[in-house]
Amino acid sequence: MILEVQGLAKRFGGLQALDGVDLSVEPGEFRAIIGPNGAGKSTFFNTLTGLLQPDSGRVRFEGRDVTGTPPHLLARLGVGRTFQITSIFHDLTALENVQVALLAHARQVWSLWPKARALHGERAKQLLSLVGLGGALERQAGTLAHGDQKRLELAIALAGEPRLLLLDEPTAGMAAQERLESIRLVHRLAQELGLSCVFTEHDMAVVFAVATRITVMHQGKVLAEGTPAEVRARREVQQVYLGVPA
Amino acid sequence: MIEFLSQHFSWAQNPVVVARQVLAGISNGMLLFLISAGLSLIFGVLRIINFAHGALFMLGAFVAVSVLSLSPGGGWAYVGALGAATAALAVFGAAVEAGLLRRIYRAPHEFQLLLTFALVFVLGDVAKLLWGREDHSTSVPALLDGSMRALGLTFPSYRLFLIGAGLAVALGLWLVLHRTRWGIFVRAATMDRGMLSALGVNTRLLFTSVFAAGAALAGLGGALAAPIVAVGPGLHVQVIIDAFVVVVIGGMGSVMGALVASLLVGIVNAFGLLAFPGLAVVLTFAVMAVVLVVRPHGLFGVPE
Amino acid sequence: MKPAGRLALGAAALLALPLAISDFWIFIAIEVLAFALYAVSFNVLLGYGGMLSFGHAAFFGVGGYAAAILMKKAGLPPGVAFAALPLVAMAAAAAAAVVVGYFSVRRSGIYFAMLTFAFQMLLYAVALKATGLTGGDDGMTGLKPPGLLAQPLAYYYFALALVAPALYVLFRLVSSPFGYALRALRGNPRRLQYSGVDVRAHQLAAFVITGAFAGLAGGIFALSSGNVFPGWLNWTASATPIVMAVLGGVHSFLGPALGAAVYVVLEVLISGKTEYWPLAMGIIILILVLLMPEGLTGLARRRTA
Repeated sequence: MILEVQGLAKRFGGLQALDGVDLSVEPGEFRAIIGPNGAGKSTFFNTLTGLLQPDSGRVRFEGRDVTGTPPHLLARLGVGRTFQITSIFHDLTALENVQVALLAHARQVWSLWPKARALHGERAKQLLSLVGLGGALERQAGTLAHGDQKRLELAIALAGEPRLLLLDEPTAGMAAQERLESIRLVHRLAQELGLSCVFTEHDMAVVFAVATRITVMHQGKVLAEGTPAEVRARREVQQVYLGVPA
Repeated sequence: MIEFLSQHFSWAQNPVVVARQVLAGISNGMLLFLISAGLSLIFGVLRIINFAHGALFMLGAFVAVSVLSLSPGGGWAYVGALGAATAALAVFGAAVEAGLLRRIYRAPHEFQLLLTFALVFVLGDVAKLLWGREDHSTSVPALLDGSMRALGLTFPSYRLFLIGAGLAVALGLWLVLHRTRWGIFVRAATMDRGMLSALGVNTRLLFTSVFAAGAALAGLGGALAAPIVAVGPGLHVQVIIDAFVVVVIGGMGSVMGALVASLLVGIVNAFGLLAFPGLAVVLTFAVMAVVLVVRPHGLFGVPE
Repeated sequence: MKPAGRLALGAAALLALPLAISDFWIFIAIEVLAFALYAVSFNVLLGYGGMLSFGHAAFFGVGGYAAAILMKKAGLPPGVAFAALPLVAMAAAAAAAVVVGYFSVRRSGIYFAMLTFAFQMLLYAVALKATGLTGGDDGMTGLKPPGLLAQPLAYYYFALALVAPALYVLFRLVSSPFGYALRALRGNPRRLQYSGVDVRAHQLAAFVITGAFAGLAGGIFALSSGNVFPGWLNWTASATPIVMAVLGGVHSFLGPALGAAVYVVLEVLISGKTEYWPLAMGIIILILVLLMPEGLTGLARRRTA
């Protein structure tokens, strides 16, 4: 198992955002987490990655207990993440964005003297080409189109050489066609690079196009889990999503 | 140990001294409250740290001094001075907000800081130009001069008046904040600015009125302080610091916090000066730093 | 003209300058050098790191006081004390910055700023009250470099010999991986965290380094102006580096240095004519903030665009 979550819980005042979430991901999986808004998906990622401290529960990455480990340490262990609201360095060029991520990964951010411009240029260009941004190297990241910014964020995440990639609504804000293209790109890269992926998603077409397994969350708990076909057939899922009467 | 205690706390044996210090502390606290309440509200609603707030206090004091020096004297002149200072500063505050501050709400924070600093420098020198370099003084109005006896001790009447005035303002503020529409908007803004425009509140008007109210409070504080303080250039630099300490301890945006913290700071200062004259100042800032580290939203503020 | 050409011209001008001006103006030039370092180091924190400190004057002041105490109270021969001055000023300021920074970077935005402010006021109070060490309200006066270095011309070159390399070191810093990460941090600390960087440690390091260089500037200035006062640490002093940086332009590395030069020269010229320098400064700041937010270098850039 590359990721094992047991009984993860998180409360905000009166709201039990996560109510004992159990999840296991095998290496190579392309796992989708679906659920209505407020099901706790983003909170799950935030608590998993140490941005929030869990109230209880355990998180294991590659067998190692990483419960509550802060994001920067978890990143060094091999977990990457993208955000629902695209999270890039707007004032830097696309190339610099990836260079920074590479410098961070190479533990060079404490290097005070060498000229950073000359470092990791080739690898950065490589990563940008991989996500389809080879022609936008010198563009200021903030001026890129929404879809390109998402690709850039993917490149930044890949720069950390993660073995597990967490993607929070990777196709948010895109038109239908772009969404499928986008998730297929991620899927292809994951297969090429041997990554395991867990992504949250609203669009069922996207989910059923690429997911190997699906976890359904509802009100902070896992409602159902299984292959796409299994999940689609489950009554509870139909109730929650399609309003089928009990 | 006994040495230490006797050196620093011998005054505690003398009830007259203790009572006098408590009174001084509370009355100073009330003046501090008048400055801090405005500062806190301005921060809570406009999210601006108004470094020029001390200058507004100073201007209030100067206006009061001028009005009193021009008038025949007596109780009504004093009331007139208080009113003039409050009104003048309200108008001035509105002008500053509408003319200057409004333009930089969307600018990076360093610009907002610089603007209020610029006001400090400009107003300080303008006061010098208008009122000269010397300290002015004005006397306590005859009606409030003298002292009163209670509990076998004598208290300066003006100090008691200040406490009364401070409490009256605090009560008035509470009523306005909790019983008027304006007050509700102000409190809402302190908690969540974004919601206000969504609710259709005229935020422009609200901001101007809040700044004007804060300035008016400072002006009133200055006018009330005029009889017991040396009113000269440089006043605006001294008073703001204690006000910051109060706002931090009480919680930025909370009037209740400003009241509690002002009294605390006033009393602690009064006794601190007795017990540890050298250290009192250092301690004040140490406490400010500790609060910011441990509980930045202070006693009554809203956690970010 | 290419940047290298401009730089060479600038260097030549700086070297030749003191030979063409009176002693009085050499002292001013030394002040400009010190404040240029002060402003540029401050801007590494603000313009590059996105951290607005209300308390940077504390480190300039600590550096100044460290220099003064070293020269007057350490009981060392003047030559030895003076030789140790740059290091001592930087070390003292860095030490203060470690303590202030450690607590301040745990918060961000306005609380970070207020914390730095509170610590500066704390240090101000110490400077005011620790009369035995700091001279209290009177400050410390009669500071002089030893022997020939007390000559303005000689001290100018001494200051230049410290400031120019210091600026170069800061330039290499912002161009380094550390600097890249700092710029990234300004834009999106969370993204940087998730890329494996301990953001708080990075901010603390930037805070300490910039504080140390501000301290160096303070030490240099203390010996040229001959004195140090608690006023260097008063809250009104915290605006000075901000004004210089914004005046010059926070988006360029040397912009703040230009801002420092203009600020110092303006202060000298205006203070010479009137006692209302604060009024003038306030008006200049208002013009800057309301009409010239990009600063002088920003104006120049727009002209050439």
